[in-house]
Amino acid sequence: MIARVIRHSKSLARFLLAFGLGFGVLFVSTPQGEEAAELLEPTLAPGPRRLISLNPSLSAIVLRLGEGQRLVGVDDYSARLMPELAELPRVGGLFDPGLESILSLRPDRVLLVAGLEQETHATRLAKLGVPVDIYPNERLDEVLENIQRLGTLLGREQAAANRIQAILEMRRAVSVAAKSRRRPTSVAIVDRSPLFIVGSETFLDEMLDAVGAENLGRRLAKGYPRGSIEWLIDARPERLLDMTPGATAALEFWSRWPSIPAVANGQVVDVDASRISLPGPDLDRALRELAIAVHGEGIEVDIRRAIAERSASPPMREDELVDQ
Amino acid sequence: MIRLSLSRMIFVLGTLSFGLVLICLIALATGPSNIGFGAVVDVANSFLRGSADTAAGDASFDIVLRVRLPRLILGLLVGAALATAGVIFQALLRNPLADPYVLGVSGGAALAGIVVLALGGLLGISTSFVPIAAFGGGLLATALLYWVSGGPGRSGPTGLLLTGVVFNAFASAGIVFLASIAGFFDGSRIFLWLIGHLSAVEIDAAGLVAVSVAIGFGVACLLSRSLNLIALGDETAAQLGIPVDAHRRWLLLSTSLMVGAAVAVSGLIGFVGLIVPHALRLVIGSDHRLLIPAAALSGAGFLVLSDTLARTILDGRELPVGAVTALIGGPLFIFLLRRAQSKGPLS
Repeated sequence: MIARVIRHSKSLARFLLAFGLGFGVLFVSTPQGEEAAELLEPTLAPGPRRLISLNPSLSAIVLRLGEGQRLVGVDDYSARLMPELAELPRVGGLFDPGLESILSLRPDRVLLVAGLEQETHATRLAKLGVPVDIYPNERLDEVLENIQRLGTLLGREQAAANRIQAILEMRRAVSVAAKSRRRPTSVAIVDRSPLFIVGSETFLDEMLDAVGAENLGRRLAKGYPRGSIEWLIDARPERLLDMTPGATAALEFWSRWPSIPAVANGQVVDVDASRISLPGPDLDRALRELAIAVHGEGIEVDIRRAIAERSASPPMREDELVDQ
Repeated sequence: MIRLSLSRMIFVLGTLSFGLVLICLIALATGPSNIGFGAVVDVANSFLRGSADTAAGDASFDIVLRVRLPRLILGLLVGAALATAGVIFQALLRNPLADPYVLGVSGGAALAGIVVLALGGLLGISTSFVPIAAFGGGLLATALLYWVSGGPGRSGPTGLLLTGVVFNAFASAGIVFLASIAGFFDGSRIFLWLIGHLSAVEIDAAGLVAVSVAIGFGVACLLSRSLNLIALGDETAAQLGIPVDAHRRWLLLSTSLMVGAAVAVSGLIGFVGLIVPHALRLVIGSDHRLLIPAAALSGAGFLVLSDTLARTILDGRELPVGAVTALIGGPLFIFLLRRAQSKGPLS
């Protein structure tokens, strides 16, 4: 039992250290509008034809670029979270993909994220002659770069550029909208029990910064550290953004500690993790909803105004995009 | 065996009680926030004067009364339960490696709790039912253990031990299976459950644990003289007029109840039930009339101290207390073993 616990603890530690890859397993939701139609659109673009994705954030990007038909296998989480992929063969979990299952699907490219555990699999797959692409996805820039790389790989450069542009435009718009507002001190909770929070050097921390929230979790550690309730009470956050999936109402849970300013002022917000926490192609939507969670519905008007003002001016040049 | 006198008993238990009070004060006055002993006294005064409402918006009030105190209470109860159970199982099974988890009660409790953690979403059961499920699982495991090992009159230590080992292996397999199919969040909860922690305990659960500990501890104290003789061998005990089977049955059931309740709220915290009894035997001898209350006090103190370390050494971040007890307990156990070996070969 102890040996198993130790093995499990190692896996968890790796999971949390490289949470960008783990955090992507939370949820994903289906894109809407005209881009949704692209999902089923057959493609003749060059590039690998038999893809296996071992991470939901990568699976989501492939789907969003309209190249879902190239996927011949996915990890369990992707299949569980994305209805479009539910019927595809599964090749195991994030940390224990089955080599035999992968080989039997004869992939011409396997997509996985950076991190000790997955890179070990990458090495083994490479030794077996399977081409492997590794995508780091802990930071916002890395996610954008992943969209660009996958766009190039799948011959969907324009679709990828559009996605990146949309995300960067939204980041700019929410920053402009939040500029005139006070930056509330905030703690973003990934899970209540045990308590995991959003720390520094994560894409969620960068998004909180962009929407004008001071993330107190930065002071604790980088990544997604396990915090203590006492630390949280002592930090006195003005906003509690609770992303715990499938839990009771956040305010009901946190109201047992009424000294927390966010509780006292009714600023405990249930955040739908399914719409915010995947380091994938829909971070524009995530940014907008995070801004609303932090500042209230009133900010939406300002976000629209910022977008409209930008639309009236010339589109961003490539060097401007990079600067952002 | 060292002769037990009333004055010796008062001295040992008095010293341990004093130490426990000190540990409790340290635990209440220590944490990642800068709330020290003075603030704790203020909160206590405020609480005792009945002005809790005016202090309700005060962070120190929340931290002392709603964070540290519930953990302290649960830590005391769970530590006392595990150490007492360790003493009893080591004597009942006449096995120095026996710990509260050896008989499979913990396996049953953990399996039932983890079923709710991993499949609760599918079954429509809230995770708040985990302690209740775990407690029920522990009771079921106890019943199964007794039935499989032969029931009244045939439940010798070897049969109990073997049944426990096999049942634990079965429960471990079930837990690993559930952990394998669980998602990330459920997986991290299962991990914490397996290593043992007090960070998510609810004070509401204290009543269940307190009653179970009171029953287990009460039965153990009442039958402590029998336990002294059973530890020498069933035949010896029977010749001296002890109804061995009946007393073993009572001890087994009451201790299992206690362990089931402890596991239900804190998961599988290791080493408390192994290290505390051994350390105490070296210091105060093996008379269970003294050993049992001393183990309860020491186990409570050891776990509270470990939990204080677990929630403070990383400055705002937390370690599972089971990791701390293992980090302290492992080397300490080796030290005690070496020390015992140096005095002569182990039997």
